[in-house]
Formats: sequence, structure tokens, C-alpha cells
Amino acid sequence: MRVRLPLGALTGSIIALSLCGCQTLGVKPWQHDVLARPAMALVSEPMDAAIDDHIYFSKEAASGGRGFGGGGCGCN
Amino acid sequence: MQLKRPPSALQLGLMAASCALLSHTARAQTVDSAEQPFELDSALLYYKENPGRVQTIEPVVSLKKDFGDQRILGGTFTVDSLSGATPNGALPSRKPQTFASPSSTSLVPQAGKKTTLYAIAPGNLPQDPHFNEQRVAGDADWSQPMGLDNNLSFGGHVSTEHDFDSFATHADYSRDFNEKNTTLSAGLSEEYDQIHAHGGNPVPGSDYELYEHEGGQTKTVSGALIGVTQIMARNWLMDLNYSYDHSQGYLTDPYRILSVLDALGNVTGYRYENRPDSRARQDLYWVNKVAFGPTVLDVSYRRGKDSWGIGSDTAEAHLRIDLGHGVYLEPHLRWYHQSAADFYDLYLSAATAAPQFMSADPRLAAFIGTTAGLKLGVTIGRYGEVSLRLEEYQQRPSDQSSALPQLQGLNLNPNLTATIAQLSWGLQF
Repeated sequence: MRVRLPLGALTGSIIALSLCGCQTLGVKPWQHDVLARPAMALVSEPMDAAIDDHIYFSKEAASGGRGFGGGGCGCN
Repeated sequence: MQLKRPPSALQLGLMAASCALLSHTARAQTVDSAEQPFELDSALLYYKENPGRVQTIEPVVSLKKDFGDQRILGGTFTVDSLSGATPNGALPSRKPQTFASPSSTSLVPQAGKKTTLYAIAPGNLPQDPHFNEQRVAGDADWSQPMGLDNNLSFGGHVSTEHDFDSFATHADYSRDFNEKNTTLSAGLSEEYDQIHAHGGNPVPGSDYELYEHEGGQTKTVSGALIGVTQIMARNWLMDLNYSYDHSQGYLTDPYRILSVLDALGNVTGYRYENRPDSRARQDLYWVNKVAFGPTVLDVSYRRGKDSWGIGSDTAEAHLRIDLGHGVYLEPHLRWYHQSAADFYDLYLSAATAAPQFMSADPRLAAFIGTTAGLKLGVTIGRYGEVSLRLEEYQQRPSDQSSALPQLQGLNLNPNLTATIAQLSWGLQF
């Protein structure tokens, strides 16, 4: 069974737009003060995220998206 | 001809000062690298579903060490202990129903065979009350920079339980651009699983009465991910990921069956479920982190679809509110929706031949899931940070009833409510 790839085209478009906009976005190296706070990390609470991923993996058909981590389980 | 003048006394002085500063900086960095502490994170999770259904107690310990220059080694160790009752896929009936627990090797008592039966009262959802499982899992990850703008990380995962073993590995590469305001990343993953159900794996799609079982089975999952992270402003970070994975092998749940009903809704038998042996999934994940003073908003959306016909949407938000003195509150809301798999149905009809693929697993049904929770975190000086998280998760299936006369008034796929409590402690030493 094949799956169509409209999401891929959409992703490519958004990435291209993001890169085009790079010249006007962003901050200077000395302006990372707020972004350097631990709470501003993309995954600021990895333990909570891993536990949530495991719970929802065992109860829902969709999972992941944030990145790779963990593996399968025989969750019933 | 250009004559090269000897350096002046002022130039010599500046050069000496620069060298002294550089050597001091280098020495300071060396000392800092050696003093990077260990980071310990630990949690105890308690998860409990509707009365009588599954409950889990799960301790997790994670240790991370920075060896300097952002060369980081991390590891996580998890132990699960699950018990309670889990739906077997059959529907409630007006009459009593009897099933065999998966560890049985025969549906009827006979010499040399093991038979553990459980009876379900009229109107009740058939659930196997003997569910009991322990799982041990470990992860290890290594991350290091490569030059000024590149980063490489890779890791592995092993988990084992009585009826399932999983081995996974992944590698990720990222590159910074635009004064580190933009990061492009790409990753690959590979997973290998062994499924050896209690009592043997049932033959997919077979008649439950025949109790046909076979040997252990395997499946593989290959995945790829690309992403872009962009600093939008001094207080705003955005990340967008596209992921694709392909599963191949035994994707059927060995413990799920379906009721076979006549035109009135009477049970005429049961069949083991049967899922396609391949599945392709795609996900688009978008997250934004925005700081409003000391408060941080984390809001994300994920759109997923797969070759089984399941589409899903997930919207989620965390708001970390800094209350000062090392105390914070974090409300959490999550909304999830999925459509049903093409081969999902509440039951099979006795009047028609069984389809090639079939499942009544509630996890493949159409439903809405919502989570609401609150976390309280407190920093206790050199003893680290302690937090308590309390949440409630609810699933409301779209399809809970049938027009068949014998099924009217019965809740065929009840709501699920789960309580999640997590106590965490983090420390640097």
C-alpha cells in the first residue's frame, strides 16, 4: 500500500520560506540571553517528554514527530 | 620595495597582553571542561486507567555528563510494571461470554494443555483481567560538535519484556547557518522488534475457536527525519520537522480479537485480528517557544497520516509560569484527534466472508483525546529541583453504538479515562 506525499511538499515549501526569511530573522550573538535559558530549550523537560511519548504511543495510533528516541514496546 | 618596520614598544606590549589573555582563556576553558557536573534526572510515574483497567508504576533514571566542548554522553534506565485488565477487542453481549487468557494453550481443558478462562457478564466490555507485564528499557546517546557549525549525535535503545523485545539505533546530524540563527538537521533510525506472545502468536485472521498459534514473529521500523530550527527573535524560537517511517513485518496485535455477529447482533464466534504487514507514516511537527518575561509558552502542532488511512492532529501547549524564589507552575493542555484505520470495525458480520484485514482495537478507532494537567516545580538549593505533575487523559471514541437489535443500549467502545501522576527530582553533582 502506497502513501502519497503532500506533507513532504508542504514541508519543503515551509523550509524554503524559512531559509529565505533568514536574512531578516534572528539575533546577534550577544542577544542570546533569553534563548540560553534552560526553559527555552526545544525540549526543556526531556524526562516528561519521554514519559508522555511512551503513554501516547501505547494509547494512540500516531506518535513521534519531535525526533527519535526510545523504541517500540508491546504496549497493550 | 616595501620595508617592514620592526614592531613598536606599544605593539609588543599589546601582543604580550593578547597572548596572556588567550592563554588564560584557554586554561579557564580547560578547567571548566573538567568541572562539568553530572546531571541526574529521576522520576516515578503512576498511571491508572478506569477502575479495573491497566495501571503502571514506572521509575526512570537518567544520567548525563558533559565532557567539555559540548561532548555529551547520556543514558536512561526505565522499569515498567503493568497490571490490570485490558480490552480484548470483542463486543459486550446480552449473554455471558467466556474467553481464554493469552497464556492458555487450549480453549478447552485437556491433558498437557494450559487453560485459564475468564467470564464476562452480560453487558460488560470483554477485558482480560490477567494482564501483567514487566518491562526493562535502556537508552544511551552520544553527542558532539564537528567543527564550529556541525553537530553529530547517535544512540541506541534496548527494551525487553516477556513477550516483546526491541532494539533501536539512530544517528542525527545538524548544521548551523546565519550566525547560528538557523539550524538544519537530518536523522535516520532503525528498529528491530521480536514479538513472542504469551501462549504463541495466533495465526492472524484465524477462527478463535480453532486456537491456531505459530512461532515468534519480527518487525522492522526504518525512519528518517529532516528539520529546521530558526531563531525568530530574541525571545522566540521555532522548530519544524518532517518525519517518515516505514514498518515491515508482524504488525498485528496478538491479543486482539473481533466478535462475529449475525443480523440481530448475536455472537456467532470470534476471529483474531489481522493487520497489513507494512505501514508508512508521515508526520509534520511544528513547535514555537516564546518567552514573555520569565514566563515561557511552548505551543506545538502535529499533523500525521499513514498508509492504513489514519489521519491525526495534535495541538499542545505548556505555559511555564515563574513565580520567583525557584518556584514555577506549568499548566498543560493537549488535544488529539485521529480517524479510524481503513480495516477497523466494531465487529465482523457472519453473513459475509471475513475481510483480508480486520481489527477492533480501540487504538485504531476514530476518537478524540484530551489531556489537562498541572505541574509544580520547586528548586531546593543544592538539593536540585523537585516537581510534581498531575494530569488527566480522556479518550472519547466516535463510534460507540450499533443499530443491531441485540446491541442497542450497549456501550460498545466506552470512554477511557486515565490519571497520570509523576514525581521528579533533578540534581547536578
